[in-house]
Amino acid sequence: MSRPPLPPTFATRSGIPLRASYGPEDVPESHRAVMGTRPGQPPFHRGGFAQGYRTKPWRIFQLSGFGKPEDENERIKFLLEHGETGFLMEHDRNTADHMYNVDHPDVVARREDVGQTGAVMQSVREVAICLDGIPIESTYGHAGGAVVQHAPFALAAYWTVAKRRGIALDALGGTGQSDFFLTYLGCVTKQQVPTAAGLRLNADIIEFCSEHVPKWVPVSIAGYNGGDTGLNAYQELGAVIANAIEYLDEIKRRGRLDMATAAYRVAGVNFRSTMDIFEDAAKLRAARKMWCTLLRDRYGITDERAQRMRIHIVTAGSMMTYQQPFNNIVRGTLMALSAVLGGTQSLGVSGYDEAISIPSEHAHQMSVRIQQILQHETNLASVADPLGGSYYIETLTADIEKRAWEFAADIEQRGGFLATLDSGWLHARARDNQVAWQQAENDGRQTIVGVTDFRGDSTPFEVDGFPGVNDSFDVALERLHTVKRERHEAGAHAALKGLEAACRGTANVMPAMMVALDAEVTLGEVGDLFRDVWGDWQTPELI
Amino acid sequence: MTNAAARILLVKTSLDGHWRGLSVVARALRDAGFHVIMGGMLTGAEIVRAAVDEDVDLVGLNVGGHVEVVIRVIGELRAARQDLPIFAGGVLPPSSCRRLNAMGVETFPPGSSLDEIVAAARRLTAPVAGA
Repeated sequence: MSRPPLPPTFATRSGIPLRASYGPEDVPESHRAVMGTRPGQPPFHRGGFAQGYRTKPWRIFQLSGFGKPEDENERIKFLLEHGETGFLMEHDRNTADHMYNVDHPDVVARREDVGQTGAVMQSVREVAICLDGIPIESTYGHAGGAVVQHAPFALAAYWTVAKRRGIALDALGGTGQSDFFLTYLGCVTKQQVPTAAGLRLNADIIEFCSEHVPKWVPVSIAGYNGGDTGLNAYQELGAVIANAIEYLDEIKRRGRLDMATAAYRVAGVNFRSTMDIFEDAAKLRAARKMWCTLLRDRYGITDERAQRMRIHIVTAGSMMTYQQPFNNIVRGTLMALSAVLGGTQSLGVSGYDEAISIPSEHAHQMSVRIQQILQHETNLASVADPLGGSYYIETLTADIEKRAWEFAADIEQRGGFLATLDSGWLHARARDNQVAWQQAENDGRQTIVGVTDFRGDSTPFEVDGFPGVNDSFDVALERLHTVKRERHEAGAHAALKGLEAACRGTANVMPAMMVALDAEVTLGEVGDLFRDVWGDWQTPELI
Repeated sequence: MTNAAARILLVKTSLDGHWRGLSVVARALRDAGFHVIMGGMLTGAEIVRAAVDEDVDLVGLNVGGHVEVVIRVIGELRAARQDLPIFAGGVLPPSSCRRLNAMGVETFPPGSSLDEIVAAARRLTAPVAGA
């Protein structure tokens, strides 16, 4: 150690005090009553499914995408060839998150940034290139649309490609995201539709999927993005519950969908796992129990299919270090272990070069290999909920649950999840933790190997990250001109008018969005329309 | 030495909205006594205008994209105000750090300590000091 050690504090990363050991008297009475249940039985803290991973291994599901659609296509195929069992399409942040075409002045000014975070897909043509040769009828796909205003476009584009291939939408499996945590908390764009419009769009997507794409997860609440912005484990969980309440209350208010169906649609949720292995495993157990309780007690839903929360985990990108990046292979393994011990249904492991760039092929391959080693060499997949009955884990599960309910109640008292995003209250909670955690590293209370201590480095070669490609902007601009030149202009114009009418009225926007994508309306045109109809979200003070 | 706190403009060069790193740095600089101006996501021309309008002593570039964009922004800033010190932080691969360092721009990739960043801000604004 390079610094004098400070006295150790024994607490979880969220600050829950820890005893030296735990016994039966530590488990709260209220939780003891459900300790004897089995995985597959309500309240499901022990797992949604009796057979655990025996009948259904967790899905190996990595974020992927950069450059031109054909570059992204190549990387997705690389991952599938190496054993990935579902794929995620990343869209370029400059264009997709903002709903700008590449000829927007704000994009042109940063032309080299284009394609660094995902492929540029301004029309259905580019999505078709990205999906070329990928059997989407039999492969679980994530269509992108992580940011709320982009989701209807991204989903409609993916589904239009499927329809053109002759795939029936009611047979298509996959997932969207449209996540409020990413959009309004973690990755705040320059322009974005207001939260109320975002909620309407998400409710439209949920209802459209229920009718037309029933095997699809329409939206996925991603607590991950709250966690990696600074919310601690129980705040992340409490905020996810508050977010779900906002969706379900809206669906109920609209009255077009039965609540059990709606709840089943919303039950595909994403969290993060961190280096506090047991706290995050306990968080997933608490999450399932809370979900079941929420549906039963608040909405009167007794359908067990809906009561089972299905979880996707991404390992915390913020815990991957820039220094000595090969150490991150160990960190990725441990955070993946936490997710599996907690009973996740799917998993993405951050690349070891996460702090340096988007993943190289090798980093991506390692993320897949970590998961394959856990699935095939460790016997981890043989027994469901291996932590069940541990005095420590059961006590921690109950403690996180209690604190998460309190946080959710706090949000509700402040007007609900959307209100705490609009006011910046959630941002302030995240910011307080960011500063406290960074300060702990700075003053020696939190050791990060290779960063705060143990800094001697004999890494055999420099990891300089993945450079991407340098022709994304030029090719995207050419394709934008081509599609506008070749499309049936009157048809595109009419489709855009139809979409505008849907947006200004109360009809579901998705049928009109499907027509617009089929008519080769472009991303920026839809973005301009959204801005015209709904204006901009007033970003709260972030710093 | 004057009593006025040195003024630092912090901006994002890219349209990637992740704000966690910038927030922690901004807080640390404020706590160290600097006057921090948050510029948001700005283009090179907008950064130049903000730096001039706010009469800042130091510009901090938060990078979430390609280094070529950063290099162009530095060029635009220097064309307008040759003497204005610049530092940069964010997702910067080692090779990008070396390119910026060679241009006289100090770099703070992930894992940099807040103490190092504050010390650099003090050093770079030394003539006006006060912070």
